Amino acid sequence: MKASTLVDGSVIDPSTIDLWRTRKDKERFQWSSLALLTPAFALLIILFLIPVGYAAYLGFTNLTLVGPTAVKWGYTGMANLHRLNSDTEFRSSLVLSAFFVVGSIVGVLIFGYWLASLLMRSTPWVRVVVGGVVVIAWMMPAITAGMTWYASTTAGGTFATLTGLSNSDFLGSYPLLVVTIANIWSQTGFAMLVFGAALRNIPSEILEAADVENASRFQRFRLIVLPMLRPTMTAIVLLVALLSLANFSLIYVMTQGGPGNATNILPLYSYQQAFQFNNLAYGALIGNVMVVIAAIFGVLYVRVATRRSR
Amino acid sequence: MKYKGLSKLITMGATLALVGVTAGGVLSANASSKETLTVAYPSVYAFDTGPLATQWWNQVKAGFNKEYPNVTVQYIPIPGSYQDVVNKLSLLYRSSSTAPDVAEMPSAQIGLWSSSDYLAPMNKFLGTSAWFKEFPKVIQGEGEFNGKIYAVNVGENDSALMYNMKMFKKAGIPVPWKPKTWQDIVTAAAKIKKALPGVTPLWLNAGTGSGANGLLQGINNFIVGSSTPTIQTSSGKMVVSSPGIKAALGFYQQVYSKGLGASETALFSPSAVTAPLALFQTGKLAIAVGSNYYGGNWTQFISAPHWPQAVQTMGVANLPTEAGGGLASTLAGWDLAISSHAPDAQMAYNFINVAQDPTNLIDAANWAGWVPPVKSDWALPAYTNFAPPYNADFAKILPYSTETPTSANYSVWVQGMGEATGMFVQNPKTTVSQALSTMVNYVTQQLGNNAVATLK
Repeated sequence: MKASTLVDGSVIDPSTIDLWRTRKDKERFQWSSLALLTPAFALLIILFLIPVGYAAYLGFTNLTLVGPTAVKWGYTGMANLHRLNSDTEFRSSLVLSAFFVVGSIVGVLIFGYWLASLLMRSTPWVRVVVGGVVVIAWMMPAITAGMTWYASTTAGGTFATLTGLSNSDFLGSYPLLVVTIANIWSQTGFAMLVFGAALRNIPSEILEAADVENASRFQRFRLIVLPMLRPTMTAIVLLVALLSLANFSLIYVMTQGGPGNATNILPLYSYQQAFQFNNLAYGALIGNVMVVIAAIFGVLYVRVATRRSR
Repeated sequence: MKYKGLSKLITMGATLALVGVTAGGVLSANASSKETLTVAYPSVYAFDTGPLATQWWNQVKAGFNKEYPNVTVQYIPIPGSYQDVVNKLSLLYRSSSTAPDVAEMPSAQIGLWSSSDYLAPMNKFLGTSAWFKEFPKVIQGEGEFNGKIYAVNVGENDSALMYNMKMFKKAGIPVPWKPKTWQDIVTAAAKIKKALPGVTPLWLNAGTGSGANGLLQGINNFIVGSSTPTIQTSSGKMVVSSPGIKAALGFYQQVYSKGLGASETALFSPSAVTAPLALFQTGKLAIAVGSNYYGGNWTQFISAPHWPQAVQTMGVANLPTEAGGGLASTLAGWDLAISSHAPDAQMAYNFINVAQDPTNLIDAANWAGWVPPVKSDWALPAYTNFAPPYNADFAKILPYSTETPTSANYSVWVQGMGEATGMFVQNPKTTVSQALSTMVNYVTQQLGNNAVATLK
């Protein structure tokens, strides 16, 4: 390469410039940063990786809460995994979890969007009152929400009285459906807030342009609102999926996984194995499965969030 | 000047710190010379109320400290339900540093904890014990495994039929009621249904909501009174199918297919086992497969709920066996055990010895709804007059009752049987073979073929 002469007459020799070092638009690495990151790494290893790794290892042992193997326990290879593979109760629990999670996502999306769009068009005091009530439901501890729904959906409860069937036990008759609705109820407030913020960010000019073009309400929703809400929806889907997958308290309070095993989703089945049947190791393995499922949702969420920020 | 002041301050601080450390050392040295005994107990679950539990344990501590003033008793109260108590105690036992020297535990768990080497055998202490000799054989054996006694009982629960005598008279059933067969119970319940619409004829625990307690005060009474009363074989296998289990499920099928049982909501509630107490008091229930604590709960002292007319209203009848006549009842209670890590097992036993004092045992029985394990206590007015005639009636049943299995696999069997009985409540058209099949599949799938047995 030739030397360049600048307008002020100075000469620059290209060989003296390290382009990679000086470029500001590329990621750079400095060894000294490792020292600064060490405390964070140490905390991550001590408080996260080691406990999670240990819990994962426990899933491959014969550790029990009580009994001879509570004291003298050890690695048992793939034995628990083989058991999991042939465990029909686990498969049933997976299906129940899928229904609970998917049902919750669909319900939260529909009701969250519906409430947010209604409140957009409502008078300020209605917005404050309805919004406040929904947010209170969201902030309510799972145990309180569970007790409320238990009392409302069993015989003599609010639903039975309202429908005129005071002896009807909706919870006993449709347990999975009722606990899913209870979960939707408790999480809709979150979706409503997020949808509300996203709806306010849609430029009114675009919607007015659609009106000028005589677009129907459905076309406006499908071609303008929905595409613009897609990132918000993705975030809601992933967060609701994660929250629902790990929702132990609500179902434990309402049904304890019953009647029979009708609402025995994965967190409850893990608890049942570990603390009712004393199989800590097998319970830990079911927990590992939950971690893997949650990690998949987590990675998806991070990817979506990163894409949005770009 | 400024620095002089500061150096003075530092000197003073250092001196104070030195004095503090020295004093602390002296104090801790004194403290260590005084022995400490740790005792874990359920602070809410075992007794009828939390304050009564506290009162009883303080009473035992006071009695113990009268005899052993140099020993500090440090209590570890465990709040929560049955499962919470079992889990917390299991976790405490996992480390020798947290294992309580003495613990109160449900009898169904003794086998599990002793097989974990968590408990110390008490044989050498019990040889000279007068109160242990007075335990009925079945209760002496409650904490015995491979010839070693790991726990001693402080109170038992057994079962019988409780019935509303006034309702029986209205339905034309003679009282005192003495059913000879299981069919007699169904017949009486059917008559009540016909004569008293709106009244639940029979409370028969079913489903998984109440866990092991639901079975203890439910189907297990029928199984132990059947032709094949075994729930767990001598080799430790859980019985998933037997003529007795089929007969017991057959009784359930009759009750629920004829609409003689309680509602699904009531039966599947986690507090189902105690629901009959209020249902009887409010005149909404005629018969229950009940427990010994009913009478005490209706007294003004316990008030859960208070029902002064209970004595004139409620009768007790033995649950007959499948063959007819006889007496069928389950048995389960609470025991005291010494940790294998206890530094002074003798002192731990001394504490248990004080707890077994007649006054303490009778107070425990009255305040927790138990039958005391010592035979001579059954006739003492302090016990019989607390809830007459129920306390005396249930004491008579105790020696003939059958112990609940105590193994890790029993909890799986409980879940399977709970599912099977719950099926009759959810769908009264359920057949015995459908319920049995659910039970067999569930327990076999969870435990494996080698851990289950079928009796012919």
